[in-house]
Amino acid sequence: MTASRRLAAYAGLVALLLASLIISVALGPADLTPHEVWLTVGQHLGLPVTSPVSRLRDAIIWDLRLPRVVAAAAVGAGLALCGAVMQALTRNPLADPYLLGLSSGASLGAVTFLLLGASLWMPLGAFLGAGAAMALTLVMMNLLGGATPTRAILAGISVSALAAAATSFLIFWSATGDSYREILSWLMGSLSGVVWTEALLVLLALLVAGGPVLLAGRALDAFAFGDTAAASLGIDVGRLRIWLLAGTALLTGILVSIGGAIGFVGLIIPHLVRLGTGSRHRALLPLSMLTGAIFMIWTDAAARTLFAPRELPVGIITALLGAPIFLAVLLRYRRVT
Amino acid sequence: MSTHSPLRPRYLRLAPPALLALFAAAALPAQAATTYPLTVENCGVSVTFDQAPQRVVTIKSTATEMLLALGLEERIVGVGFQDGPAPPPWSDRAAALPVLAEKLPSQEVVLAAEPDLVYGGWESNFAADGAGERPALANLGIESYVSPAACRSADPGKLSFDAVFAEISEIGNIFDAAPAAEALIAEQRATLAAVTPDTRGLTALWYSSGTKAPYVGAGTGAPQMILEALGLTNIMAEVDDPWISSSWEAVADKEPDVIVLVDAVWNSADQKMRLLAENPVTSQLPAVVNQRYLVVPFPASEAGVRNAGAVVDMAAQLAALDLTP
Repeated sequence: MTASRRLAAYAGLVALLLASLIISVALGPADLTPHEVWLTVGQHLGLPVTSPVSRLRDAIIWDLRLPRVVAAAAVGAGLALCGAVMQALTRNPLADPYLLGLSSGASLGAVTFLLLGASLWMPLGAFLGAGAAMALTLVMMNLLGGATPTRAILAGISVSALAAAATSFLIFWSATGDSYREILSWLMGSLSGVVWTEALLVLLALLVAGGPVLLAGRALDAFAFGDTAAASLGIDVGRLRIWLLAGTALLTGILVSIGGAIGFVGLIIPHLVRLGTGSRHRALLPLSMLTGAIFMIWTDAAARTLFAPRELPVGIITALLGAPIFLAVLLRYRRVT
Repeated sequence: MSTHSPLRPRYLRLAPPALLALFAAAALPAQAATTYPLTVENCGVSVTFDQAPQRVVTIKSTATEMLLALGLEERIVGVGFQDGPAPPPWSDRAAALPVLAEKLPSQEVVLAAEPDLVYGGWESNFAADGAGERPALANLGIESYVSPAACRSADPGKLSFDAVFAEISEIGNIFDAAPAAEALIAEQRATLAAVTPDTRGLTALWYSSGTKAPYVGAGTGAPQMILEALGLTNIMAEVDDPWISSSWEAVADKEPDVIVLVDAVWNSADQKMRLLAENPVTSQLPAVVNQRYLVVPFPASEAGVRNAGAVVDMAAQLAALDLTP
């Protein structure tokens, strides 16, 4: 990919992201015109405009829609970044951000908190669960003999299975009345009811954990040729892999804690972008983030508007779209290689 | 959104024999004894009784309370999956019933009670990992009955008090207790007739559970039926389903005048009040600011013998609400 084409891709995606933010915030089940929405957002941002809507409608726009759209963009970007890094680290095209047992661990933590009656603290539970799962995976990987792609995958699979079984047991044990409904929506992945603190937390995590990961693009290119080749380029393979795994796991933990286990975004977006840019990570990582953000904004907009006043867990939509896209990407790869 | 579809009299097309039986039962004098064998169509399954059931397992509170209300608790050999303690005047009699399981009892537990009828409040109670599938029970000589309002494999249509009374009448018929059933129906009709629907033109949200995505009563189930009896307009009435997962945005958009809170052991009305007060948007709803809540116990929020009482109780709560701005 030439420099000018790359620049065009950046500019195009950034413009598309901004347009997506602006348009999708005007969509929703409440009876509000785009004009009213934009004026309200503008007033909150300190622009010299006046919102024409009531206080309640102002809250619908500023406290429900905007944090949700922002969170969707951040979660999409984060998942795509983590997916691309995981695929590079493990040299496995099937890798996704949840590979180290993170989604199962987060679900276990979230369900535990929910059943303890602390439903408002579910994000914290999810984060603690994700962290515990990651720590367990890394410990097991080291017990198996150190950080290699195969060991990471094997350790991740076993931790996943363990956490998933524990979650199923908890749900079985505690299913009273219709309490399972909340858990189910969590397990499928949903951005319903995201508030500003959560949206800002995701953005912050994206900066703190995602920033350094972005800088590791060149090292990730070296990983593609195998551990020996990477080592010969002066990279401390074992240590860098641990740091990158930990960084993406931290980020994924926060993403899962806000949106639940939203599937397929981290898997397909990097593949989709790779078709256009090739596999140089310095371009792949930021372009994946932009694409992931746009994808997530629109799937979440669909989740809140398609069946209004019903609300669909967005994970259902990402899976419905993601599985066929993944298949198409695989077919395209076959033609390319 | 789909427009409100008129009530389709599905039973006219699907089950003429059952309908005839209903008319026949209504036409006969109240003391009429049931003639066995008796066959009823229940949620797509034809169930035949050679005699009145003597040993019944009830699953869910609605099923247990139906038999309690008809004075048939002597026939209950076990209960499972109760949603909470039964209210007076049934409390003592209900507390004496053998509990098979706090949750959904397994097939083996149900069989060990040697029932001749399993009466379930939800169709999903009859699963292989629950009380057992209905054909499997039938093969063992055990009849099964699903509360018709909870039938999902055949669309029961929009719930009405007439449908609730039809279940009471059918259960009375099955147990050869038609007089008790007719008396109960007459009593409930009188109870409902004494309620004056609210005429202030108020709208209501029926908030059942959920924190981030509220699970709310929509257009075809017990919530809609009760709200109509109260003279309240359900803000989700146009949705063709008994309950749906909705969003706070859709709720806030409709600005309900009052909010019905379902009070369950696992998700109390107090918890819901706290959530509504903490959420940045719902905390600004007039109904929340002015605490305009009606509380209904969970078992009374599903189709059954407690609906009529719930209407009376909620009508009193509604009348006590001050709606002057």
